[in-house]
Amino acid sequence: MTFQEKNIMASLSVFTIILLFFLLRLFQLNQNGNFAEPKIFTLWGIVIGLAILGTISLTILTHIISAVIEIIQTGNEDHEIDDTTDERDDLIDLRGTKVTYTITSFGSLIAMLTYAFGQPPLIMFTLLILSGVIAQIAGDINRLRLYRRGF
Amino acid sequence: MGKSRIQNNIRKLRFHHDEMTQKQLAEKVGVTRQTIVAIEKGKYSPSLEVAFRIALVFDSPLEEVFWYEPKDDPE
Repeated sequence: MTFQEKNIMASLSVFTIILLFFLLRLFQLNQNGNFAEPKIFTLWGIVIGLAILGTISLTILTHIISAVIEIIQTGNEDHEIDDTTDERDDLIDLRGTKVTYTITSFGSLIAMLTYAFGQPPLIMFTLLILSGVIAQIAGDINRLRLYRRGF
Repeated sequence: MGKSRIQNNIRKLRFHHDEMTQKQLAEKVGVTRQTIVAIEKGKYSPSLEVAFRIALVFDSPLEEVFWYEPKDDPE
């Protein structure tokens, strides 16, 4: 598995955990009848904070663990991680981003339509965040698929 | 995405250049080993610049490394 694939796996893991946490909390709030402003704002804050901090910390952790594993395997302490990127990596990233943008756009449209049809703004913003997280996961899956297949 | 219609001779040329490894070729061209693997298998068509750089490594004209196989269109 290349360095880029490991980074995508890290991002995919973070966003899958965030999605599960977000859906679980939404379900709990809905069950308890707490689907109201202060609780939902806290949940949005946690999700956005987790997305930023989780991705950064897990990427750093992946880098460190990869380096340790490669040093153990090669027995060479001066061994450097091959994190070279080229045109194929850029194209794969571009295709993944395209999927992410497409899903985010559809999600935003659906979120705005719910508002237009009389739902409260809380629903609209919750759908916006949900579509953003799902879009990121779909983009990462597409990137991984292209790496596994060659292109 | 299926196989590209751009075919190549990279495997044969590597063999004739002292069994050059994919990693060595990748380092000389300035791409990753995975990209060389994808090009060799015909799964990825490189940019013109990378194609020229590969040809330069083998000191061969471009058409000796890559060629285009036209699709057999049923008439």
